[in-house]
Order: sequence, then structure tokens, then C-alpha cells
Amino acid sequence: MWSTGARALFRREILRFVRRPKNTFLPPAITNVLYFAVFGIVLGGRIDRIAGFDYILFILPGLIVLGTISNAFENASFSIFHGRWNEYIHETLTSPLSYLEMVVAYVAASAVRGLIVGVIIAVIGALFTPVTVEHALYLVVTMVVISVLFAGFGIIGGLWARDFDDLTVMNQFILRPLVFFGAVFYSLEMLSPLWRDVSRLNPMVYMVDSVRYGFLGYSDLVPLTSLGVLVGLTAAVLAIDVYLFERGFGLTD
Amino acid sequence: MPPAIETRDLRKEYGELQALSGLSLTVEEGEFFGLLGPNGAGKTTFINTLVGLVRKSGGEARVFGHDVETDYQQARDAIGLAPQEFNVDRFFPIREVLAHKAGYHGIPQAEAERRADDALERVGIYDKRNERFDWLSGGMKRRLLLARALVTEPDLLILDEPTAGVDVQLRHDLWELVTELNEEGTTVLLTTHYIEEAERLCDRVAILNEGRKVTVATPDELTERGTDTIAVRLESPPATAPTLGEYAHETSLSEDRLEVRVDDGGSMAPRLLNDLEAAGYEIVDLEITRTSLEEIFVDLTDREDRTVTRSSASGREDGEEGRPEDDRETEKRETEGIA
Repeated sequence: MWSTGARALFRREILRFVRRPKNTFLPPAITNVLYFAVFGIVLGGRIDRIAGFDYILFILPGLIVLGTISNAFENASFSIFHGRWNEYIHETLTSPLSYLEMVVAYVAASAVRGLIVGVIIAVIGALFTPVTVEHALYLVVTMVVISVLFAGFGIIGGLWARDFDDLTVMNQFILRPLVFFGAVFYSLEMLSPLWRDVSRLNPMVYMVDSVRYGFLGYSDLVPLTSLGVLVGLTAAVLAIDVYLFERGFGLTD
Repeated sequence: MPPAIETRDLRKEYGELQALSGLSLTVEEGEFFGLLGPNGAGKTTFINTLVGLVRKSGGEARVFGHDVETDYQQARDAIGLAPQEFNVDRFFPIREVLAHKAGYHGIPQAEAERRADDALERVGIYDKRNERFDWLSGGMKRRLLLARALVTEPDLLILDEPTAGVDVQLRHDLWELVTELNEEGTTVLLTTHYIEEAERLCDRVAILNEGRKVTVATPDELTERGTDTIAVRLESPPATAPTLGEYAHETSLSEDRLEVRVDDGGSMAPRLLNDLEAAGYEIVDLEITRTSLEEIFVDLTDREDRTVTRSSASGREDGEEGRPEDDRETEKRETEGIA
């Protein structure tokens, strides 16, 4: 599963985004500076503390989740789709890599990009407010799981897309609204019981809540249940990725 | 050793369209094998089935004994493909593109980079190693595709119209290189529109048409299947072409030039001369021309088209039933653009 060939593809995928920091790392850094400045400092000072935390600290885990999963998703979907669009994904497909190795390499590299962006956002947040980590191991495991999960979703998106517009649609009209309604900027406790229950159908809620628990030790849900849901979902998405590669969905005639 | 390529009843359907219609073909290890056929004959579909870019609808395909679906990793590892289309990674300088490709085939990084340099030198674009694909000229792009196919040191090199649109010098360079590789033991499968290329390079050629095999033979065998034309100039030509024996398949007279189509020009010429002299004609000049492989190719694919068109017409129940067959054939040739 982690052969020389898989490592070569992983390396290629890492180099692709590392060599273009202006396209990959700078935009989320600037966006999050703006988020922290506006929501944290300008507006945050006028918003009550939530669950005993300053608003800027409360939203930090959600912003990390938003940046991490967006970038993991974007990297995988763009890399796969661009390769299909220009047909150079044939270099991978005609190689002796197993389908599992292909998926693992694409997903791992995209997850790494998501995690790097997550760390960048955490560092930016730390410049605005002191950040503590209450449950480090839980946080690391959760971050890895959600990065892999959204890299896995990105693979599906990259295989499904027929045009660059489809990628934009997925990111802007599906991913981003789910995150914003995933309790990034508010606590579930602030919602009416009905909307609280509806929110539980949104997988982002579990991610944001888990990462918040890792940083702040506060959660609206049971942390291990959230992590269990995410791990299960991740396993299912990766299995679908491998299946789609095996079937040649979007890849072969 | 199993054959380099072995397919049995290989089929590929795209809805109603039969891209491959039960193609059985064997390419022996070490052979230089040509695939000829008009556009849409199924050549690229055949190749893409071997490398995993097309999923077959039925039949079997093996590369060095490895099934292209169940043992796809072993099959793909043996193949180096230079495709017709430019499908190269645009993100990296070409040296890295080649090193990545070698890496995917399990070659460690340092060795992959060395091979990338070797391959670029071999095709003559080493000094462009730090350029990206988009900055290369058309000819260099073609060379790069070949370098990428070579970087994994494949046992089977597949070249899908490698000389399409390249200048004469490059074409000759490529011919020299692939001949050298074949002499070193690499099996080569070449598709081409240039009959001269097949005639010059290939041990055997298969002619495909509409997804089926028309024939497999050596270029010499194919040429022998064609007829020759004996042209004689007569001192006092008659008004109409003289009647000759059954050996003359076709006779035509234009002013003082009489053209006679026969199976074997060399052995038939004395008999023709005798017959003409016996009939009282005085011969001034004689010339024998062999049918070119190109003419044989056109003849074979045309004949196949006629057979296919007839058989499909006989089963036809729609409104085209009444159309003259020749019209349909003309339309078909124009659509397919036989090169």
C-alpha cells in the first residue's frame, strides 16, 4: 500500500501544492487574518462570551476546520480533475500502482495540505489570542480524520466534475454552507431544539465540535461519539474512492 | 515466453458503436508489429485497452501472459506508451515529469532521475530538461512522449502514431531510435497512417477496419498480394485494346500506351510480349510497376467496407434500404478520411 510507486505519487502531489504557496497557503492565511480581525476583534468585543470563552477563541476551532477541510477537498478535487482535463492522469493510470495505492497517495497528500493550512490558521489565531490545547491527542486524531475524510470527498468531486464550474459549485455552494451551519460561529446550545436536531444531520457539526473539544475542552456532543461517526464516515468514503478508481469512474472509457 | 500481446475476441462497445468487434491478435516477444487502419478502425481503442484507459466489453487481452484486468499491475509495468495525444503533466519541468513516471513504476528516486536524464538525452532534448511541457516545440513534445515511454525501460513499447505531424528529420530520428530499441530486444507495437513507415520498420502488420482484423502479414507478403501493371508503348497502336489471355486481369489503351494488370509482372512480361508480337504489334518500350502497399491497404479496407456495408444493408429495415450502395460507401470514406 505504501510502495515506492505510491510514495512517488504522494511526493508529486505534495510538490504540486508546496511549490505554489501563493495559490495554496497564502489565500487561507489572508482570509483567516480577516476572519480573526473582523469576527474576533471588531465584532467579538461586542459579543458575549460563549460557554465561558471569548468569542474569538470560540470560533477558532471552527475556522481551523473550515480551512482544513476546504483545502483538503480542493486539493484532491482539483488535482484529480485537472489531471483528467489535461489527461495527464493517464501517467498514473497506466502505471503499475494498485487502485488502492493511487487513492492513498492522492488522499494522503491532500490531507497533508489540509493539515498544514489548519496549523497556519492556528498560528494566526494565536497571534490574536492565547490558544490552549486541552486534549492534544484527541485533537490530532480528529484533525487527521477530518482531513482524510474531506480529501476522500475531494476525490469523488474530482472524478464527478465535468467542468471547472462543478468544482466551484461543490466548494462554494455545498461545502461552505455546511461549514457555516456547522456551529463554527455559534454554539448548538443557542439554537432551538428543532434546529439543534436538524444540525445533527450536518456532519460538519461533529467535526467542529470535536476540534473545539480538542482545543477548549468544551463540546455540545459526546466527543468519542463524534470521533466514531467521523471515522466510520471516513472509512466509507475511502472505500467509495477505491471502488470508483477500480470501476474507472470518470477515468476510463 | 508468452506472447507480448495476445487478444482473443476482444470487444469494446460504446452504446451502438462497436469500436472493437472480436479482435484476436498475437504479437510475439521481440517483434516490431504495425497496426494499420483508417481513422476509427479501433487502433487507439485496442492500445488503450491494453494499458487500462479503456475497459473492454468482452473477450481477453494479455500482455506477456498477464491479463490486463486481473493482473493489471504486471501488465502495465511491462508497457511504455507514447500516445497520440499530448497528455503530459504541465506542473513540472519535463525532467521531473519523467522521474515521477519512473517512480510510479517503483523505481527509487535517485535512479528515476538518472533514467530521466538518460531518456532525455536519448531523444535529444536533454538541454530542455528544466522547461515545462508547454514551452516545448511540437517536435520536442513528440520526443518527450517517447522519452516518457522509455524511462521505465519497458519490455513492450507502444507508439500510437508517433510521427504524426513531425518533420522529416525528426521522423527519421524516431525511426532510427525505435529500430535500435527493437534490436535491443524491446517489442514494439506501432500504429501509423504512414504506409512507408510500416513497410520500412515492421516485421508484421495487422490491418484493422471497423474494429476487426482484415489481415495480418509481413509487408512483403502484403505487397505480393497486390497486382502489377505492365505498361508497353506500341509502334502502331490499334483503336481498341487487344484481347489477351486470362492472365490479364484488366487492359486499357491510351494513345500508344497499353496497360495490362497481371498478378506477377516479372513472370508475365515475356508471355505478354510474345502474345503482342504474335498479334503483329511492335513494342517500343516496356515498364513494370508493382502495386504499392498503400494501394493494397486501400484496396483491403475498401473491400472490407464493401463487405460490411453489404452485410449491414442486407439486415437493414429502415428507410436507407433503397439507397445505392456506392453512395453509402462514398459517404463512409469521406467521413472516415482514410489517410
